Amino acid sequence: MSTLLEILDPNFLLHDALVGSLLVGLVCPLVGVYFVLRRMIFLGVALPQLSAAGIAFAFFAYRAVVGVHAHEEPSERALAMVGSFAFTLIGLLVLAALERRGRNMVEARIGTTYALAAAATILFLAADPYGEAHMVNLLKGDITTTQSGHVTLLAAIYGAVVLVLLALRKELLLVSFDRELAMVFGRRVVLWDGLLYLLIGITISLGVMTAGPLVTFGFLVVPALTARLLTRRMLAFSLTASLLGAAAAFVGFWAAYRWDLPLGPSQVATACVVLMAVGALNALRQRLRRHHA
Amino acid sequence: MTALLNLDDVSIGYEGRPVLTHVTFAIERGEFVALLGPNGAGKTTLFRGILGLIPLLGGRVAYSFDRAASPPGYVPQKESLDPIFPLTTFEVVLMGTYARIPPLRPVGREARRRAAERLAEVGLAAQAKQPFWALSGGQKQRALIARALAVEPEVLFLDEPTAGVDTEAERAIMDLISRLNRDRGLTVVLVSHHLRLVRELVHAAIWVEDGRARKGATETILASQ
Repeated sequence: MSTLLEILDPNFLLHDALVGSLLVGLVCPLVGVYFVLRRMIFLGVALPQLSAAGIAFAFFAYRAVVGVHAHEEPSERALAMVGSFAFTLIGLLVLAALERRGRNMVEARIGTTYALAAAATILFLAADPYGEAHMVNLLKGDITTTQSGHVTLLAAIYGAVVLVLLALRKELLLVSFDRELAMVFGRRVVLWDGLLYLLIGITISLGVMTAGPLVTFGFLVVPALTARLLTRRMLAFSLTASLLGAAAAFVGFWAAYRWDLPLGPSQVATACVVLMAVGALNALRQRLRRHHA
Repeated sequence: MTALLNLDDVSIGYEGRPVLTHVTFAIERGEFVALLGPNGAGKTTLFRGILGLIPLLGGRVAYSFDRAASPPGYVPQKESLDPIFPLTTFEVVLMGTYARIPPLRPVGREARRRAAERLAEVGLAAQAKQPFWALSGGQKQRALIARALAVEPEVLFLDEPTAGVDTEAERAIMDLISRLNRDRGLTVVLVSHHLRLVRELVHAAIWVEDGRARKGATETILASQ
């Protein structure tokens, strides 16, 4: 109880880290529902890793062209954000374009992308010894070093992403559920896909910069999968996923602080435990229903 | 009757290779037309070309009304929709109203009322809150027809509306479509491979075979095959 009160205190030392975690937990699942509905879950693994490779590349390229970059400065964050966003968006567009040409080998392409991105991240880091230690923390998602300026930026950009998702949810649903109907209605499906990918790119880039690829992937997919087992309506699905994400972020944070555990893995493990519990209860309920029928 | 839709020397295919060429016919306002032909002859290709779902390789499809302002009603095969989406029957039907609601504008009370009316019209008012995927095959098809009607279309396009449903549901679906054509004067174009089902209901048939499509009175077309 005292740990909980300590965490909730506005003067808590890791207050910014807590708020950052909650924002990632709230917003990543809202984008993640489209990963689940469009059956793009594997992309959810590959894209955060691509984002990490983008951060590593941005530092590597800066050092090669300009010189050593200053650590912990706003310019370093901006550099990381540009690299992260560019790699995520380009990767997403290329994979989506290849998928449009043919669904064969989709898993192979995504798997190769993941392997390449993971390898490239390590290689770029190895080539930038000045930034290596700091970058390793950033890529692991060392959210405890998050500063208030970054949290403010995260809140502003994620707030805008949520507003756009809510305002355009009927178009995004239509294009995702029945692409042909959207075309019959005269909607430019490529543009709507592009907008969704842009929102995904922004969310993943900031998520990776804040909490690392593991947490971003976990919150993109796991709360949405759990919510799918619990809900029957689209809006309820999105909101439940988001609330589950935030709850897992908070409980994971509390557990990590209480027992001195690594933060990101604690949060993802919490989300997974909830998914397994809901899945087991769901299976039990179905078995009982069949038994009574 | 006046032409609602004109195809003029249309060629349709995939990746530059034509499946059908020199297709020319008109569909009249209020007509009930079936696209018939052997499997793989190009019925669905022609259907998709008319709807603008695949680009034409040549020729022209002209609607007599503004398609952007008044989109056609479209009923896909129910198997083309993914059951992973958590949607109630009402939410699926409500999607039909999106045709006339611009982006950023929320779905209002009037659209909800229209969706509820269309759902009642196909006899599924009681299933409005049920998950769409819990409906039987025939009920799903009727819900998709309600969704197409919620567009308030001038023409209704249906892709194999009786595929994968039992005989009783088949009859109910065809009766519903026939009633919409007869009572509302709604133009109907459907793809079917069930000659038995459609021959007594439709006004005309378009026979698709060997890269060609020709339109005529149902009995004339069927007698020539």
